[in-house]
Amino acid sequence: MHFDHSTFRRLCDARGLLALHADQPLGIAEAARAAGMSPFHFIRQFEALFGSTPHQYRIGLRIDRAKRLLASRELSVTETCLEVGMSSLGSFSTLFHQRVGVTPVAFQRRARTMVRVPGRLPTALFPGCLSLMGLLPAAAFQPLHSRNFREAKPDPPSLG
Amino acid sequence: MRLRLTSIMVNNQDQALKFYTEVLGFEKKHEIPMGQYKWLTVRSPEGPDELELSLEPNANPDGKAFQEAMFAQKIPVAAFETADIDADHQRLSALGVVFLSAPQAAGPVKIAVFSDTCGNLIQLYQVVV
Repeated sequence: MHFDHSTFRRLCDARGLLALHADQPLGIAEAARAAGMSPFHFIRQFEALFGSTPHQYRIGLRIDRAKRLLASRELSVTETCLEVGMSSLGSFSTLFHQRVGVTPVAFQRRARTMVRVPGRLPTALFPGCLSLMGLLPAAAFQPLHSRNFREAKPDPPSLG
Repeated sequence: MRLRLTSIMVNNQDQALKFYTEVLGFEKKHEIPMGQYKWLTVRSPEGPDELELSLEPNANPDGKAFQEAMFAQKIPVAAFETADIDADHQRLSALGVVFLSAPQAAGPVKIAVFSDTCGNLIQLYQVVV
């Protein structure tokens, strides 16, 4: 499949539009119209280029924002759900759990035990480093021959 | 110092593993669970044998912003060498891979750019001296 510059541009712009209005019920049909494509065509092309459908992309944005809100503001899970543009608490919790690995309540509880610096997100919750992401046990840093990941216990890491 | 490992950020590790193995043709080298993520690397059956590419989860909002901006500016984040760029272009296209530019001559190389469906643009090149 080959995308010309205009198609690429319009899909990137549509993605930007979805990101800009992630908390609003902007329809996929509306985004498709902005891209000058039929909804069916738009969804197909979007998925081929970005690897997820517009709907999945927007869910990802909402969950990311929910993580930030739960970690940094004194909102309840219900308030967070509505704030990010989702109306069903049930599906919000399910999607959050699927994508983040823990429930919104557990995520918030964990965030609240952390020292918070205004304007900054706790790195343990928003890691940019694999060893922080997996809370890699110290055993993982031993030489290869003495390493057994299956037996490694998830001890809290002492990473700087 | 040696170069044995390089990495690329991906939106979804499972999806990335599928694309990098089943579509691009790399082989899985390591898949070690690490909490919600995993230490996931692939290697090329065409070598070099020691070199691994780590498919790293892009979990950091700043990382995502960087990745989306590079993508929108059409800037590839990695370049893979091929012995036959036209054949690869044809094979990958048939598998539904989106190319932003078909193979074209650029000095001593022929280059093409495609989307890896995990948030990145990859340049494919063939040295044609």
